[in-house]
Amino acid sequence: MEETPGVEPAAGNLTGSRILVSLPTTKVARAARFAKTGLKVGANYVKHYAKRAAGVTSETDDLHAANAAELYGTLSEMKGSVLKVAQMLAMEKNMLPTAYADQFAQAQYQSPPLSGPLVTKVFREAFGRSPFEVFDEFDINARQAASIGQVHFARKDGKALAVKVQYPGVADSIRSDIRLVKPIALRVMGLDEAQVRPYLEEVETRLLEETNYALELQRGTEIAAQCAHLAHLEFARYYPEYSTNRVLTMDWLTGQHLKEFLATSPTQEIRNQLGQALWDFYAFQMHTLHRVHADPHPGNFLLRADAGGTVGVLDFGCVKEIPADVYELFTALLTAEALADETRLADLLTQADVLRPDDAPTRRAFYINTMQASLELVGRPFRQHTFDFGDPAYMTALYALGDDLMQQPELRQQREPRGSEHFIYLNRTYVGLYALLTELRAVVRTERK
Amino acid sequence: MENIEKDRIKKAYLDYVLRKGTPPASVFQLTSKLKIQEADFYRSYPNFDAIDREIWADFAREARQQAAKEPVWEQYGAREKLLGFYYTLLEMLKQNRSYALQSLRQSLKRMPGLTPRVLDDFRQDFEVFVQDILQEGKRKDEVAVRPLLQDQYPRFFWQQALFVLGFFAKDESLNFERTDAAVEKAVTLSFDLVGRNTLDSALDFARFLVQRR
Repeated sequence: MEETPGVEPAAGNLTGSRILVSLPTTKVARAARFAKTGLKVGANYVKHYAKRAAGVTSETDDLHAANAAELYGTLSEMKGSVLKVAQMLAMEKNMLPTAYADQFAQAQYQSPPLSGPLVTKVFREAFGRSPFEVFDEFDINARQAASIGQVHFARKDGKALAVKVQYPGVADSIRSDIRLVKPIALRVMGLDEAQVRPYLEEVETRLLEETNYALELQRGTEIAAQCAHLAHLEFARYYPEYSTNRVLTMDWLTGQHLKEFLATSPTQEIRNQLGQALWDFYAFQMHTLHRVHADPHPGNFLLRADAGGTVGVLDFGCVKEIPADVYELFTALLTAEALADETRLADLLTQADVLRPDDAPTRRAFYINTMQASLELVGRPFRQHTFDFGDPAYMTALYALGDDLMQQPELRQQREPRGSEHFIYLNRTYVGLYALLTELRAVVRTERK
Repeated sequence: MENIEKDRIKKAYLDYVLRKGTPPASVFQLTSKLKIQEADFYRSYPNFDAIDREIWADFAREARQQAAKEPVWEQYGAREKLLGFYYTLLEMLKQNRSYALQSLRQSLKRMPGLTPRVLDDFRQDFEVFVQDILQEGKRKDEVAVRPLLQDQYPRFFWQQALFVLGFFAKDESLNFERTDAAVEKAVTLSFDLVGRNTLDSALDFARFLVQRR
């Protein structure tokens, strides 16, 4: 059975006619949508304060939820890059009230599929021939929508291939969307541009990198070669002769996405082996390669039960290169020593820019306490020989921690994000990995060899 | 024999415009370069504008023929055929981009919204092509049958073609990528409009209410 490669499942179906939702395209139209949302969000605040003045107790959470729904409604009518920015911001829960974060987590890219003639044109431009001449067999109807392109099935010399074709002008449109969304998003979320600039720049860089298929090919090929010795992993081979900046050709991997795979009720042994393969993959990238596949979304892995469980890894569009000092810091924070020794922890947190010299002593103590609590929980798998991700108490504790943090008035009022911007994608990577492993309910040997 | 001469004059003219950025100052200037009599020129063309018109008509005709050579052409619906035509045309314009941009920018600036004279012959060819694919679209239920209104479709699609050419002339994105996106969206929208949609149901409903009395 053939399964879809490299892409997140799209909300709409690609076969047959697809309903086109209205898509405001011009900058003016998009700006107009935002202005409208700004007004509605403003109105929500007015309602909130009016209620409070009238002595009615109104939960701020309700307000956030109303605002988030408003924003989300607007955003989902807009092109996806905005949503992606929103998704990125949502990952840093520290930066946003949870209601926003939850709404943004639902965001999905929606764009009508590329027409056959445009796909043909992209090929003619890149290779001087139409896809039907380049490949022995080519399905002009896309099998799946990726976030910034779509995937076609092709065959050459008997080999099944996945051909990813990028939407035209995506990079430009991401750039202009970022310029457009930033000021309004910042205002609505009550953040200061200068303080969040390094974070947004980090996110923008990654987003634009994703549009560069040549870079993805290079990184995918390198990481696959370096990880070739790891057991139970499978990587698609990339074909430079059939790839350009806007077309990426790779092997068509088989397997099922996490949800469908779990529906086949795989045994605990298989789930453990899959979890182990994932853990080893990330540990090796982190500790040896110092760069990680930073998008551990369930759509980017194909699972199979053969050979006791095999993981197919897709989509190297988002790769985070970890600078040496950030790596040292990140691993040091996860050790048992850092947790036990408060001065050492304070020292590391200052290096990470979480603590600042001009912080008041009470504030300082508060930060150290909260970070200690989070690190104890988040770093737990790293400090044990084996770890059972199937333990429901663990994930519940993780989520509870997030909620707890948001209840802290000190954190709620905090309007400046802290910590190194490199942590955004490291956090995303580990949050994603933990989510996969908990879904798999895998028992994993987490000790570093 | 005459056609060969015509082609030679056309090529020399194109070459001149590409080199100098403007048409030659006089017919004599061009014919002396070609070492032919001025009278020979007038046997082929009345003036330089006629050459411009013909060059554009050639673009349209060649784009149509090229696009139809695509192996999947026969499987395409009307929407895809129009898209195929536009993309092939843009490809050809890109190969002659200096000439095309110069000629478009000059004539579109002069008369925004109106059809520039250089595109007269192009337009004729284009509208015939659109008629054909719309006919086919009707057979395949891709285009709704709307008496009276549908006679205006070729004109409507011509405005779209003008929009695409204008967008191309002003596009500053790398490799004209934004023009690709503009074509994709404009054509999708136009076929959503000419296909059976809310409008038809509304008209049908209105007609029903009127007839009942």
